[in-house]
Amino acid sequence: MTQPILTASRLKKTFGEGDTKVAAVHDVDLTVRPGEVVLIMGRSGSGKTTLLAMLGAMLRPTSGTILVDGADPTTMPESRLPGLRATTFGFVFQDFNLLSALTVRENVEFALNLAGVTGRPAREQAERLLTGFGLSHRLDFRSDQLSGGEKQRVAIARALANQPLVVLADEPTANLDSKIGHDIARLLRRIATDQRCAVVIVSHDTRLKEVADRILWLEDGAFRNLDQMATDPVCGMSVVPQDALHLQVGGEVVYFCSSNCRDEYAAAEAGGRHTAHHSPPGRA
Amino acid sequence: MVPVDRRMLFTDRRRALLGVLGVAVALVMALALEGIFAGSTGQVSRYVETSPADVFVSQQGVRTIHMSISVLSADTADRVGELPGVEWVEPILFASDAVAGPEGRRATYVFGYQPGGLGGPRTIIEGGEPGPGELVADDSAATALGITVGDEVEILGRPWRVSGLTTGMTSIVNTTVYVRFDDLTQVLGRGDSVSYLLVGTAGDSQAVAEQIEAAVPGVEAQTRPLFSAEERSLVREMSTDLMNIMSVAALIVATAVIGLVLYATILARLRDIGIMKALGLTPRAMTRLVLTQAGWTVATALLLAVAITYALGSVVTAVAPDIDLVVEPASLARAGIAAAVVGAIGAIAPLRRVLKIDPATVFRRPT
Repeated sequence: MTQPILTASRLKKTFGEGDTKVAAVHDVDLTVRPGEVVLIMGRSGSGKTTLLAMLGAMLRPTSGTILVDGADPTTMPESRLPGLRATTFGFVFQDFNLLSALTVRENVEFALNLAGVTGRPAREQAERLLTGFGLSHRLDFRSDQLSGGEKQRVAIARALANQPLVVLADEPTANLDSKIGHDIARLLRRIATDQRCAVVIVSHDTRLKEVADRILWLEDGAFRNLDQMATDPVCGMSVVPQDALHLQVGGEVVYFCSSNCRDEYAAAEAGGRHTAHHSPPGRA
Repeated sequence: MVPVDRRMLFTDRRRALLGVLGVAVALVMALALEGIFAGSTGQVSRYVETSPADVFVSQQGVRTIHMSISVLSADTADRVGELPGVEWVEPILFASDAVAGPEGRRATYVFGYQPGGLGGPRTIIEGGEPGPGELVADDSAATALGITVGDEVEILGRPWRVSGLTTGMTSIVNTTVYVRFDDLTQVLGRGDSVSYLLVGTAGDSQAVAEQIEAAVPGVEAQTRPLFSAEERSLVREMSTDLMNIMSVAALIVATAVIGLVLYATILARLRDIGIMKALGLTPRAMTRLVLTQAGWTVATALLLAVAITYALGSVVTAVAPDIDLVVEPASLARAGIAAAVVGAIGAIAPLRRVLKIDPATVFRRPT
């Protein structure tokens, strides 16, 4: 088995003090190997983004360690973190986060500049990457002239520019339609396989399950066992059975993330063959 | 390297243009003030600079015409004239007063000279040299005061008839009139004295000046460039405090504008800067980015300010011929240095804001 490229041990992050103290992430252990796609799912506010920010050396954990390619960003001086981010990680964001003042080519070239590649080599490498993603006709466009799918492909090209060991993707398909979302999911899978880099994705999107080697569920800042999770048949979201709304359909219990999904499901069922049960208080 | 600094600064052209214009206007204020000041000091010393004399002789300790009284005995001219290297000597009398016309009053130098001699106006564009009780005035002041050839004006407590007009001898400070030496002698009651001697030399003027000082006790002899420099220096010293106040005010405005422009640019690009930090932009690179933006702003503004100031000079000369706006290289250098300092100071607040941006903001949805 290959050595892990990214390891997090007993990772904890708390915000606030005293009565307002909140543990956003606690006791998280994670190991990711080269070529592996790990999908971290969870509800809004479950700590996914906090975890991703810590893994990406943008946020210092309250306790715990992170090892990425043998280096520990949790103990590294602040001045060395930008260099680590520029050379070790590739970032893909939900809102694409392309630099609006730059062209498509310059966005990718800038990431190369940060990693120490400048001048013509940077320009040529940026063009090569973008051409590989089918964006050769958009090189001199600004981000506001691109479609959502094109923006995300530029963002992925930028994330790969420095040949990262780890790609961290935050809701990479959230702003994309179904087909483009699938394309982006497959692209992330291909990157992990072809370039042997680890891809860590945090997302609500169940479409990403099909490209993931492992799926982790983050609930209240800690990983839960996915064996105990159920899938909402309407939206496809994973839900915790004991916290979720459910319907009894024949001999089976079906779980939902929201009353909307439950009602939609119920309406689709002819003749009211099942009975709604209200699980947790206040969730009706 | 991708020119992120320029791209961020100039992508929003309207904001960039307004910022550069704001800084340029402040710099124009400083440059134009200095230019008008330089022009006026040049105008004040114009009598000296346009004189055919190589050496000016005055009473010992008197090194200027402006704000000075020089009294030399009448025989000094003969003693100077006998010295080797001296080709000619022309005594002049000098007083200052105000000339009044139908349209107002104006401070004036009054030079008394021998008509036909070398101490009078360089050119007469209308009328002729002064006869007894007459004077030659400057055309610009004459127009402003509503005076024409043949009119009567009052100077030094007596009436004078305008016999002719010369040109180029009026500044924003004062004007110049020329009267006969004998008339001014009589008005000033200085029968046996002169104010200055104009000396024409053959050969080294500096050596002749030194020779005059050595041979004639109680006199100061200066070459024309030196005398002119002393004249300008005196005017400059008299106005230094005012100029400094005006210049500092202009530079404070420029600093505030640069600071605001950069701050506005930074605020508009906070997310972009957060993204750059997340991708690995170092604090040093961020400092360079903000300072470079400040540099671009002030450099562009400085170029624009110089162009505007030169254009302003042409307009001012056309509209108000008495005002001479001269942009000197030293003034440009000062403005350049001041702009650099102002840019650096103006960048401090935006830089502090940039360095505080949390890279993890990239995970938040833009509002």
